[in-house]
Amino acid sequence: MSMDQALQTYIEESHGLLEEMEAILLRLENEPQDDETVNAMFRAAHTIKGSAGLFGLDAIVAFTHVVENVLEEVRDGALSVDGELVELLLECRDHIGLLIAVVAESGGALDAAQTAAGEALAGRLRARRGGAPAHAAGVPAIHESPVAASGGGPVEGDCWHLSIAFGHEVLKNGMDPISFIRYLSTIGDIVSLAIDDSELPGLEEMDPEACYLSYSIEFRSEADKQTIEDVFEFVREDCRLRIFPPPSHLAAFVERLEHASGNTDMLGQLLIEAGILTGHELETALRAQDSMAAGDTGTRPPIGEVLVRDGLVQKEVVDVALEKQRQIRDHKAQEARFVRVSAEKLDELINLVGELVIAGAGASLLARRSGDAALHEANSAVANLVEEIRDGALKLRMVEIGETFNRFQRVVRDMSRELGKDIGLEIGGADTELDKTVVEKIGDPLMHLVRNAMDHGIEAVEARVAAGKPAKGTLRLNAYHDSGSIVIEVADDGGGLKKEKILRKAIERGIVGPGQNLSDSEICNLVFEAGFSTAEQVSNLSGRGVGMDVVKRNIQALRGSVDIESAEGRGTTVRIRLPLTLAIIDGFLVGVGKSSFVVPLDMVLECIELSEADRQIAAARSYVNLRGEVLPFVRLRDEFEIKAPPGKRENIVVVQYGGQKAGFVVDELLGEFQTVIKPLGSVFRHLKSISGSTILGTGEVALILDVPALLQLGVARDAQRLVRET
Amino acid sequence: MSALVNVAEQPAPDAPQDALQYLTFMLGGEMFAIGILAIKEIIEYGNLTEVPMMPDYIRGVINLRGSVVPVVDLSSRFGRKSTQITRRTCIVIIEVAGEQEKQVVGVVVDAVNEVLEIPQEEIEAPPAFGARIRTDFIRGMGKVNGRFVIILNVGNVLSLDDLALLEQTHAHVTSAADVEAAQ
Repeated sequence: MSMDQALQTYIEESHGLLEEMEAILLRLENEPQDDETVNAMFRAAHTIKGSAGLFGLDAIVAFTHVVENVLEEVRDGALSVDGELVELLLECRDHIGLLIAVVAESGGALDAAQTAAGEALAGRLRARRGGAPAHAAGVPAIHESPVAASGGGPVEGDCWHLSIAFGHEVLKNGMDPISFIRYLSTIGDIVSLAIDDSELPGLEEMDPEACYLSYSIEFRSEADKQTIEDVFEFVREDCRLRIFPPPSHLAAFVERLEHASGNTDMLGQLLIEAGILTGHELETALRAQDSMAAGDTGTRPPIGEVLVRDGLVQKEVVDVALEKQRQIRDHKAQEARFVRVSAEKLDELINLVGELVIAGAGASLLARRSGDAALHEANSAVANLVEEIRDGALKLRMVEIGETFNRFQRVVRDMSRELGKDIGLEIGGADTELDKTVVEKIGDPLMHLVRNAMDHGIEAVEARVAAGKPAKGTLRLNAYHDSGSIVIEVADDGGGLKKEKILRKAIERGIVGPGQNLSDSEICNLVFEAGFSTAEQVSNLSGRGVGMDVVKRNIQALRGSVDIESAEGRGTTVRIRLPLTLAIIDGFLVGVGKSSFVVPLDMVLECIELSEADRQIAAARSYVNLRGEVLPFVRLRDEFEIKAPPGKRENIVVVQYGGQKAGFVVDELLGEFQTVIKPLGSVFRHLKSISGSTILGTGEVALILDVPALLQLGVARDAQRLVRET
Repeated sequence: MSALVNVAEQPAPDAPQDALQYLTFMLGGEMFAIGILAIKEIIEYGNLTEVPMMPDYIRGVINLRGSVVPVVDLSSRFGRKSTQITRRTCIVIIEVAGEQEKQVVGVVVDAVNEVLEIPQEEIEAPPAFGARIRTDFIRGMGKVNGRFVIILNVGNVLSLDDLALLEQTHAHVTSAADVEAAQ
């Protein structure tokens, strides 16, 4: 991985962490303090700082360090969280975001005003820290953890402490203890040496060829533990050797542990990697652990405990190692749950799957024509698999909408302060999934709708109280699936749309003729017309009269629709309806004359034959009796001006969209068809009633019907006809 | 983004100094030419899907190795009768630079002739009238063996905005006509 790529990863990760911080802060504001959340926030800040250090982004390190200090005090309970602190930390989070954007992404530096703002924030942060001395912002103190300062090893100073008890057999095996100690002095200075002769038995019991002596050595050396241990390699089996690192090494150990590669999540291996423990020591300790497990209690003490008990590693170091081990495991668990894949690769895959579907359809067609049963069988097995692959591939791109919704917590919070309103955000259906490409494009329209609802929808507190409503306004974001589309609702409990005012304005602007009679919902939907804004006062947030029409256009570009529902005095709900995916759908293929059309299968309810009797009177009216229900229909032949004469039979495809049922009259029903959507290019951008195209197994192009637009067209035409007749 | 880069790298197809080579083709008995740099390929006419409610000069769409390409009837585009399909009818696939991105468009021609080199000095300015084609469609009149060849300005003939716009007015006209007819 090159440095650039690494930096890119860092930037992406930081954005994620910042979002996490924001979510935590907003939660902290409402909920009592909980250690885990504070910890998570601390970790987030710490990671941003640590990684920034790797890239030499000093400005980020300096600022984040101050934030981290405060968070650390919060974590330790020295500081309590209140609204003011959350506010401050939110600002800090934004500043870190700015730093990352400026320093890491574009490699620039903050301008004077921004730097000053950062300084001010850092100053306020330091002021919040109780009695603790403030570190200078630029100098992160690494060794401020209590571990480093506590000392507490068995010896003082910067000397290693070696304790060697030679086995009785050493001399018989031809080893001379003195030679080892002499050799030891070649890699360092022996500061002092004490001989422990307490093992020495009485003269009559003493074996002159046995060694009874133990040595206790203070040893000053730059060598690491493994090197020191290696000195005694030849007598390793015959002696009890303990090497205690000098206390001054503790901090270094801690640091090394913290920077361990994370290749292993075994405590012992971690300690070895950091050079604190040697392989031999670990083996011994593990054996001890096993023997304890086999002993009377039958429980297995943790390896850390064994190591501390044997004095091989200080307790503080083990604690740090345990923390590190937990981190690595967390990280591993996360890695196992998610794989980062670039969206491009995913798109490529989905395109290929699209081609596979088309090619598969071609093969199926040939297999059917050949009349070879075995081939047909094999082909349908392939087709089934292709369908599963298609669904799987599309699912890869599905993301939950919750993340998008959560971003609005902050928007709502900040904006309600700015507006001086009290508004809470409720989120529903956060786990509803939709295509990532849709999610990316829905952010802006949603933002606009939310702002609109807060600015114009929800009234000021006094007005709410006067109207007998709770002072706190509620904005609700909700999402759910409904017949192959996803519905996103932005609802407020505000004043609702003032229909009279809208109508008056529409007439003023010439959008509606004065004599026209409009239903309530039609009036509401007028707000989506271009250049329409009823806000008497234009605030800096919304109300410039651009927007709602842009929202509508953006959503239509995604093959979606938007609808507004409002009860005066009770609130407004904007309902966005979007297709689940933009790439591949299940379609239903129908034929009219020589042309083929695809109806999205999710919208198809059933197919019925248009009876001869109905055909006779169909010229006069455009509805049939569907089991006692009135079913209006659209003749595709007339709608699309297809000249070929109708076939002997005609069928009706019954579709449902947004609570509306209607029929399409077609010649032939050609069955289900996996439809890879191909855009129709800008030449056809004004073409209503066709939403795209697809390629059939034969290689021909079929057009995809835009069901909502066709239904709307039918409604509009009838309305026109009525106007003309009256 | 990538489209922009492509445009920058490739000389504009209509730039005269680069368009020394031309593909000549027949349309209603007349010879036309298009700068060769704009042309991607030439295919046989067939497998065309009509798109409803489009003006006559949009014949429909075809499947060009997996992408859906609109096909323009040049003859109707020039305000003449639509092309009669014969055995020699071809679709010339042309790349047109749009406002934001390039689009591939097919045009129906009666027959494709050959690729010719027409030196810049052999190209006359379009006549003010008389060609019975909108003058902005003509880049120039090339002289080949003593005959005039109409060199088309592909950018204008196949201007996507123009095509889409006309189609919109067409839709308006028909709906207005409907209303009148009904009254």
